[in-house]
This record gives sequence, structure tokens and C-alpha cells, in this order.
Amino acid sequence: MKPMFSPRLILGVFLAVLAVAPLVLSSFYVTLLNYIGLYALVALGLVLLTGVGGLTSFGQAAFVGLGAYTTAVLTTATELPGWLAWAGGSPWLALVVGLVFTAVVALVLGSLTLRLSGHYLPLGTIAWGISLYFLFGTLDTLGGHTGLTGVPPITVFGFELDRGEELFYLIWLFLLAAMLTTQNLLDSREGRAIRALKGGMVMAEAMGVNTARSRMIIFVIAALHACASGWLYAHLQRFVNPTPFGLHIGIEYLFMAVVGGAGQVWGALVGAGVITIAKQWLQDVLPRIFGQSGNFEVIFFGLMMVIVLQRARDGLWPLLARLVPVRATRRELDAAAEALPRKPLPAKGEVILEAKEVTRRFGGLVANNNMSLSVRAGEILALIGPNGAGKSTMFNQISGVDTPTSGEVLFLGRAVAGRDSREIARMGMSRTFQHVKLLPTMTVLENVAIGAHLRGDKGVLSSAWRLDRNEEARLLNEAARQIERVGLAEHMFDAAGSLALGQQRILEIARALAADPCLLLLDEPAAGLRFKEKQALAELLKKLRGEGIGILLVEHDMDFVMGLVDRVVVMEFGEKIAEGLPEDVQRNPAVLEAYLGGVE
Amino acid sequence: MKLRTSVIAVLGMAFAAGAAHADINVGVTVSATGPAASLGIPEKNTIALMPTTIGGEKVNYIVLDDASDTTAAVKNTRKLISEDKVDIVLGSTVSPNSLAMIDVVAESGTPMISMAASARIVEPVDEKKRWVFKTPQNDAQMSTAIVEHMTNSGVKTVAFIGFADAYGEGWYEQFSSVADARKLKMVANERFNRNDTSVTGQVLKLMAARPDAILIAGSGTPAALPQKALKERGYTGKIYQTHGVANNDFLRVCGKDCEGTFLPAGPVLVASQLADSNPVKKSAIEYITKYEAAHGKGSVSTFGAHAWDAGVLLAAAAPEALKKAKPGTKEFRTALRDALENVKEVPAAHGIFTMSPTDHLGLDQRSRVMVQIQNGAWKLVQ
Amino acid sequence: MDFQIALLLGQDGITNGAIYALLALALVLVFAVTRVIFIPQGEFVSYGALTLVMIQAGAIPATVWLLLGAGLLAAALDVRLALRAGQPGRLVRLVGWYVAYPLVLVALLYTLPVKDFPMIAQILFALAVVVPMGPLMYRLIYQPIAAAPVLVLLIVSVAVHVAMVGLGLLFFGAEGSRTPPFSDARFEMGPVMVSGQTIWVVVSSLVLIVALYQFFERTLYGKALRATAINRVGARLMGISPALAGRLTFFLAALIGALSGVLIAPITTIYYDTGFLIGLKGFVAAIVGGLGSYPLAAAGALLVGLLEAFSSFWASAHKEVIVFTLIIPVLLWRSLRGRHVEEEE
Repeated sequence: MKPMFSPRLILGVFLAVLAVAPLVLSSFYVTLLNYIGLYALVALGLVLLTGVGGLTSFGQAAFVGLGAYTTAVLTTATELPGWLAWAGGSPWLALVVGLVFTAVVALVLGSLTLRLSGHYLPLGTIAWGISLYFLFGTLDTLGGHTGLTGVPPITVFGFELDRGEELFYLIWLFLLAAMLTTQNLLDSREGRAIRALKGGMVMAEAMGVNTARSRMIIFVIAALHACASGWLYAHLQRFVNPTPFGLHIGIEYLFMAVVGGAGQVWGALVGAGVITIAKQWLQDVLPRIFGQSGNFEVIFFGLMMVIVLQRARDGLWPLLARLVPVRATRRELDAAAEALPRKPLPAKGEVILEAKEVTRRFGGLVANNNMSLSVRAGEILALIGPNGAGKSTMFNQISGVDTPTSGEVLFLGRAVAGRDSREIARMGMSRTFQHVKLLPTMTVLENVAIGAHLRGDKGVLSSAWRLDRNEEARLLNEAARQIERVGLAEHMFDAAGSLALGQQRILEIARALAADPCLLLLDEPAAGLRFKEKQALAELLKKLRGEGIGILLVEHDMDFVMGLVDRVVVMEFGEKIAEGLPEDVQRNPAVLEAYLGGVE
Repeated sequence: MKLRTSVIAVLGMAFAAGAAHADINVGVTVSATGPAASLGIPEKNTIALMPTTIGGEKVNYIVLDDASDTTAAVKNTRKLISEDKVDIVLGSTVSPNSLAMIDVVAESGTPMISMAASARIVEPVDEKKRWVFKTPQNDAQMSTAIVEHMTNSGVKTVAFIGFADAYGEGWYEQFSSVADARKLKMVANERFNRNDTSVTGQVLKLMAARPDAILIAGSGTPAALPQKALKERGYTGKIYQTHGVANNDFLRVCGKDCEGTFLPAGPVLVASQLADSNPVKKSAIEYITKYEAAHGKGSVSTFGAHAWDAGVLLAAAAPEALKKAKPGTKEFRTALRDALENVKEVPAAHGIFTMSPTDHLGLDQRSRVMVQIQNGAWKLVQ
Repeated sequence: MDFQIALLLGQDGITNGAIYALLALALVLVFAVTRVIFIPQGEFVSYGALTLVMIQAGAIPATVWLLLGAGLLAAALDVRLALRAGQPGRLVRLVGWYVAYPLVLVALLYTLPVKDFPMIAQILFALAVVVPMGPLMYRLIYQPIAAAPVLVLLIVSVAVHVAMVGLGLLFFGAEGSRTPPFSDARFEMGPVMVSGQTIWVVVSSLVLIVALYQFFERTLYGKALRATAINRVGARLMGISPALAGRLTFFLAALIGALSGVLIAPITTIYYDTGFLIGLKGFVAAIVGGLGSYPLAAAGALLVGLLEAFSSFWASAHKEVIVFTLIIPVLLWRSLRGRHVEEEE
């Protein structure tokens, strides 16, 4: 067995190497490390935004420019307008102004472009990226295309950081702080919401996550990282002009994030490092092979990157991580954490869900016609019917995903229509999906914890600086409790994607339960389950019923339904053809015909 | 096998070069790729023609490309200074890059000769810029030549169209202030991009202002596009270009649409037409001969000549500095700087350099001539 | 601004828009079939035009060596695969296409007085050199990662673009070039003069668009591509090889790109790096069209062309700012109106 190192040890070695680097390296290599630090800071924002959140941005260079220009203008201008005079002269004040300004610009741009779906978004980022770049060049106060000279050095406690070796520590302090906080953020309640953005938006909304807000959060964070990088850049370079903030550079930042490993915090550093060093290496090596005549650097650089991506689609970090044997650390659960408060359940027998004469037309097709049903607290109602009977449409009307053409659905006496998934989740309705929707690379525990999203309230800042640990422990404990309850305890720390389909369905139930619902909507929970698993599921549902939760079950499997549920509603051709106790419905001739003529 | 042998040989040479300490090391960063490539490539080619020994010492040139990017220019400069221990830095091609490099060379006390136009690079000479020199004529000098020519030809109103970059911007600033001083009225000011496929909008706007003359401030072949569009739309007034177009590719692309165009240029452009008594002629012809021998007839451009002039300045100053210190030392770099500041009446391809503690360009009226395009060739206007 | 100026700007916008439309169609096609956002599309414009310039100047276009190099590489890959698969019979065909074709082309260019040929023959030679690079590019670069996420394919495209611009600088130099116009005719249309070349550009674009439409509607290969675009897995099950579909798509994209270059080379100056901005505007048009609809992409292209022409008149220093800022509301409108496609990676 290979020796395993603890992550702390490796981090310690890394920090020690960093600390002595400027003392032993020549000033050129320190310069390279400075640039790597600056680039990595921007790429880190992209890791969060693109790699984790799935929002591709080509425009980060423009935010770098905002940071750089804000400080350059504020620290060099001889006459500032009166209202800004207080911010003149000091780089640190300029940093604050730059961050605030960038946040405002990001909020405005984000509110305009983050609504864009699919490929509109990257194009939107190209659009404002190019616009800001040309604005830098055409505004006279910004020095035009020629640029602004004479940016002063940063001073720390009266000490001027006017050499690269000195600024090095500040740059890497910024970067390491950003990496630490990003890592913390991703491992928190807000972080799970962010990680759900890529490929799990519908699910996350159904669990009460405000995905639009989460998108905006990562967009602003990425912009602020870029702005800080720009601030440092301006004081390192002591000169600012538009070329470092153009579209090409914006693309290059994205390049770094993807080559490093877009989903990994350390990937940002690897990407920035590899690309900066590769370019340097090519600049050294190629002239020796080809002579001084042509310019082969970009050609070889492009081809090298093609080959790297062909060989390592997920970027270089995963490959590197494999080389260094790091002991895996497992999440420790704090059993002593206080249980989360629960909402009072409605009294047993009280009607909690009522659908009244729901009709839904799609053009000429009537998917649901005049459907009525109700669910009481502490009962299980099954909605059954052959394929194409309109069950899923009905499910969508009830869960608020779709709006009925006429009729209404009341949950706890309030209309469902017109409310978004989040609000419905907040009211206490929780659901599973017919086609399992979970985040395959996250652990079972984390997936279930998303269900408890609404039961916590710690925000981004407390997550980033680990002020949320008490609440986080309670959330995870709750998730663990639900996992044990549905019988997946042994898979708690496995990746959700590694589970069998049946287990994934059970996981979805645990996730729904973590939300502390009074009504559970289950879409074909028994599909893909083996006999024993079905029995266990039935036991679980009975127990939940006993606790007073109302359950609506859409199911195919008659055997599973009949032994379990209190009442049955049967649908065919979009209409209700029978309703009643399971044994009565089973004998109903209309039902028999529907099913005998049907699939099963 | 062959490749490996040559790689080993090259590596061996590299080590050998590193070992020889008394050589003069010259660091060069030029924009051989990116938007300014058409300027940077002839400069890069010119470096290979520069003297390999000065004052009996071997000269090594280390040439790096900064891709027209300020960040890369600064990085290159740091590398040249800290890794290659150069005694002087030549470059870069464009003004923003050169401006960004000033802090680095001043910090390490290394002299630098820029090949970019903006006067801001060397003016005013201060604690930092005392290390910085440059060879290309200031835009102001060239602007004065154009304005003089315009007013002498009875032009009353003028319109301007320039690159949407540092080049066009620098020209507009200088030209408009000179024109203003000489009571020449600016009636329109437009911008275009190097890569634009059409400038119809700008050209219509220019023509709507009905100027007596139009100045196009672009470099290389892209400057031909507005001129062709003006001709196509039937503009009949005078058209002026800047010295940025002075290469034969421009003539090739612009063709008959550029007949009659005026431009100011360094004397090197029309070296063979200069009077034999002109001290620039000999140096300019020497450069042209060398360049065309290496790269073919008609390949020379005035941009390469700026690099050549940097070499001429170095060759003039280095022997002085060698008397005082050994290359590779701080004393040598300081001595080299002092020697550069003291060059007097040095003939080069673009003019006669006479530096002083307040003038780190050192060119005078002799550094520019008016040129007209006639029959597809550059013709000196007497 | 008077009516005549508006007409002239409109004409200018339509001419540019026609080129953007062609590129937008190619981008839509490539994306639909292979999910690649084809940034290097613009490079084919420069390569096509500048290869023609070199041919007309009597030089051997440097691009032909690139074709030969890429062909050798592809041959090496495929021959190895064929041998491993025990199909030596395929060798002849592979080597024929990958190696013999470029060699024959080189031989023809060396021996024939191509410089003195009529322009149409020179154009055909230029296309014969540049267009096969499309399928070769697919084979060498995209086929090995055909299943990768869109983001990775996009970044690979960026890398290819970077390399191709570098090669372009090496092949063609930094300065631009033009070609002589197809015709010197000028037509009077109301108060404005329209040059023959402008009409060539617009008419050729229209013809090409109609031809593509016919290709997709009428021919087997066209239908196969459409099927792949609609449902990749389904098409594969029906026996349409994704590799073939990919190569065919890249062939068409390269053809459209190179032809666009040949068409505009007489009305503007083409540089080694001209392609990126033209391609970007084609991309804008394609996205405005939703990366799925050909007519909308063409409409988007006209919109971009006109916006550009008019903003270069009103405020030339801020032209790009105006064009790209005005795109945002269009995107918003498209995005809100369009079906909300979510959960895609």
C-alpha cells in the first residue's frame, strides 16, 4: 500500500514552498508566479460560475478591467469630482470602491443576461465583454487606448509594496483566501444549491432553492474575484490600458478554468499555472528549434491544448490529484447537534390537498378533464391508470409545475396555481420525480441535505467563513436521519450516481422527507424496485402515514398499491373513471376493462 | 536522429552563450504577432541584420514576442533583465507596451530604446524616463509636416479618420492640436478597426462634412480601406496618409486608388531620391540594402528602420560605455544610458539623432520628408 | 442623414449581412449536428480568400502543405485503426484520399500555369485546397472527443482557432490582400450606384442558401444530417454514422467559409486574422436565430449587418459597443419567448 498523506500536510508543504519562493527565485520567476496568482483568481471565479454553476462566461476580463481601471483612475487622477474626492489617492479605498462598483455592474449585467437560457448566455457575456472593453478604450478619462501611467504601489502599514517580490505575498494571500472561501462555500447549504444549478434546476426549485438567486450569487462572486485580480494587476503593472481586458483574454481565462478542471477549486490554479508556464516554455524552446524567423508559439500552444483536452476532458487537476496519494477525509457527522425544528402537522383526517374540476387542454388535446380528488392528512391516496391516462399531467397540476386551463388545486386551503415551486415547497408539499433527478457526483448525504434547504438560513458570507457550522451540522444530521429511516445508511457517503435505480428512487424520498413536508407527492416510487425493497418502501410509507403525513402516489404497480393505500383514484383518457377503497375499485368493471385492455 | 543531434548542439550553444560574460546582451521584445504584427515582424527581421560585434565585444540578441499585449511585454522585459541579464532593452513596437515597460527598466536601471511613436514614452524626462529613449518620430512632428503641407496647398477644412486604437488616438490628439494652432478647421472625426470589412458609414459621414482634405491615420494595409471607399464614393479632395502606411504592401493593396496621396515619412522611404549630400542617405541605403538582401526586393518598411535606428544608437553609444565598465554590470548599464543621452549627430535611417538630458528622441526636421504616391511608387516631394 | 445615405448604408449592411448569414448557417449546421460551437469558422474565410490571393500571385499556396500535413496525420491514424481492425482493404482508399489527393494538388499547382487561368478555375483550385481541411479537422480534432460536453468542445474550438490564426500569420504574413472583382460592372439603382461585386455577394449567398435548403430537403446525405441534428442517438440507430455526419458537416462548413472569403475578398481587405470578427458576428446572428433555425439565423445576420452599418455612421468610435449592446435586448426577447431549455450541460 502506498503511503497516504493527509491533505493538511500537503497544504502545509505547499504554503511553505510559496512562502520561501520569492526569497530564492529570480525576479522573473516571481513575476510569473504573480501572474499565475492573478490569473488563477479570475479562473477561480470561473470554476464557480462555469465549472460548478454551468454558466459559461467569456466576459470575465471586463470585470478585471473594472477593478484595474477603478483603482488606476482613483489613484492617479489629479482632480476627482467632489463626491468622489474622499476615495482618491488610496489604493485600499479604491479596492473598496472597485468591489462595490463591480458588484453593482455585475448585478445590472446579471439581471439582464442571467435570464438568458442555454447558448444565449455565453453570447450575452461576449456582448457586454466587448462593450466594456471598447468603453475602456474610448473614454477619455480612462486614458483611451494608450492607457494610464503612474499607478502608485500599494502600501501596507506604511510599507510600500513596489517590488514584485513584495506584492507576491499580497497576491497569493488574496488567492488563497479566495480558494479557501470558495471551498467552504461549496461545502455548505448555499454551496449545495449552487452545485445543483448544473443539471438540477427543476429539482432544486422543487426543494425550495431560489436558483435565480444562486446564479446571481456566483455571478457576482466571480465578478468580484476578477475585480480583485484587476486591482492587484494595476498595482503590479503600475500601468493600465485596454488590451489586457479584451475578449481574447476573457476567452483565455475560460481556457484556464477548463484546462485546469472546470469543476475543481484547485483546477483554477493548475489551469493558470499550466497555461502560463506552457507559453513561457514554448517561448524558450521553439526559437532554438526553428530559429528566430517565424512565430510558432501560438500554433504550438493551440495544438498542445487540443491534445491536452483530447486526453483529459475533465481537465488536468483530476489527473494530478491521482498522482499524489491524499488520504480521503470523510465527513464527520455531529450526532450531538440539535435536531431541526419541525412544522406542526395538520390534524389527521383534515383535507390538505383538494383538486376541483381540473381541466387541462394542450391545443385540441384534453389531457385532464374535470378531474377532482382530495388527500387528507394521515392517508395514502393512489392515482392509478394505464399509460397515457393523464396521470403525469395531473401530477404537474397538483405540484404547481403546470397551470390548469380551468378548475383549481388547493393546498392547505390556498390555490397552488400561480405559485412557483419554491413557495409550494415552503408550504409543506414535497415531491419525487418520475425520472430520477439527483446530482450524481454528490454524495447521498449531500443530495438529501438539499431537501432540507428551506430549514436553514445561513447565507453566502457565513458559509464562506465557516460561521454556519452549527446549522450545517444540524442540516446534515437531519439528512442522515432521513437516510437511515429509508434504509440507505450504508450508502451515506457514496456518490448518488453509483446507486442502483431503485435506491435512487428511495434517495429521492429521503430528500423529500428532509424538507419536513405535510404532503408527499411520489411519482412511481416503486418502479425498478425489487420485491424486498418494495416491502420496505411500503412499511416506510405506512409509518409516515401513521405520523400524520398525507401521501399522494402515482403508480403503475397494482400489487404495490392495493396492499398499501387507503383510497384509489383511477384515470383513463384524462378522466376519473373510479374512486374508492382499493378492494371496491378492483372489482369495478370500468377499471377492469381499462386495465385488461391496457398495458398491464 | 538528426533532430536530436541538432537539439543537443543548440542546447550546447545556449550554455556556451550563457557562460561568456563579457558579451553585450541585448534584449528585444517586439509585437511579432497580434494586431501590431505588421509593424513588429519587420522589426524582428531587422534585429538579425544588426552588428554582431560592437567595440570588439560580441553582441547577443535575445528576441521575444509580446503578441501586442502589455502584460506580455512587461513579462518579457522582466525575463530579459533578470534571466538574460541584458544590458539594454529594445522595444516594444506599440506605445502602450512601451509605456508599461518603463517601470520595469527604471527599477532595474537598464536603458531601453522604444520603437513606438507616442511622445509620452520619453516626455517629460523624469526619474524613470531618464532610462528610456525612442527612435520613431513623434506624431507631433509628423502632424506638423502634414498641416504645413495642407495649409500651403490651400486646404481650409480637414476631416480625420483613424484606427480605433492607440495609433489613431495618438494621431488625433497631436494632429488636431497642431491643426488648431494653424487655423485649420477639423470638420469630422471618425474611427475604424483594423479588421473592419467595411467603412462605408464612416466614409459617408466624412464626405457629408465636405472637407478640403482627409487624413487617414492607420498603419499598413488596413489604411487602404477608407481610401478605397472614399474613391469609390467619388471623393475628389486631397487625401493624406500617415507614415504608418509606408510599406510596399500598402501600395499593392491600395493600387490606383492611392495615386496622388500625400504622407509624411522618414527619409528612409525615399532614400534613393535624397540628395547625395543628405547625411541620412548613406545610413538609410545601407539598411535597405541589407534588409532586401535578406528578405527580397521591395520588402523593406519604415518600421523595420526604427529598429535599425535603435541598433545604430546602440552601436554609437556602446563603445563609450565599454570604456567605463564591463558589460553585464550595473556600471555598464548606467554608462550606456549616459552615452545614449550624449549621442550627437548620429546619422541613421530615419534622421540624425542628437540626444540631450531633456530630449530622449533627438530627431529634428531632417527626420521627415513629404512623400507622394505616384505611379504606384513613393516619390519625394521637394 | 438623408435618404441616399440611408440607402447606401442599407446596401452596405445587406452585403455584410449576406456574409454573416452564410457563416451563421454554417455555425447552426455544425452545432446542430456535432454540438461544436465552431469558432474557427471565420478562419476558413481568411484561408479561402488568401489562398486565392497566393494562387493569383503565382505562388504555391502555403495552405496546401497544411493540407498535406493534416492528411498524413489522419492517414497514420486511420491506417493504424484499419490494420488493427483487420481491414487492409480500406488502406488504399484512405491513403488515396488523405495523401494522394494533396500530392496531386501540389503537382498540379507546380506544373500548371494556374496564375494565368481564368478566375473561376483559380477559385476552384483555392476551394480544392481549403475545403478538404474541414473534414480533416473533424477527423483529427473533434472525432476523438465527439461525446465530450459542449463546454469542452467549445474550448477545443478556441484552441483550434488560436492555432489556425498562428498558422495564418505564418502562411500569409501580417499584411492584408485583396483580389480583383468578379466584374467591374456598376448598376444604378435609384439614387445609388451598386457595384457588380456587391450583387455577386448577395446573389451568391442567396443561391448558396437555396442550394443548402435543397440539399437538406432532397438528398439522402442532407436528410441524414437533418436526422442527426434532430436526434443523434436515433440517427445512429438508423445506421447514420456520426463520424460521417461530422465530416460531411465540416466539409459544408469549410466550403461555406472559404466561399464567403472568396466572395468578399474583392470588396474588402482580408488579413490572416480577419476571420474571428466576421465569424463572431455570424455567431451572433446564429444565436439570435436560436442556433436551430436557418431562416431566423439569416434574419439575425441581416440585423447585425444593418446595425453595424448604421452605427458606424452615427458613432464610429462606439460601433462595436452599439452592435453588441443592442444584441442583448434581442437575446432577452428570444430567450424569454423561446422554450425554456434547461438541464442541458
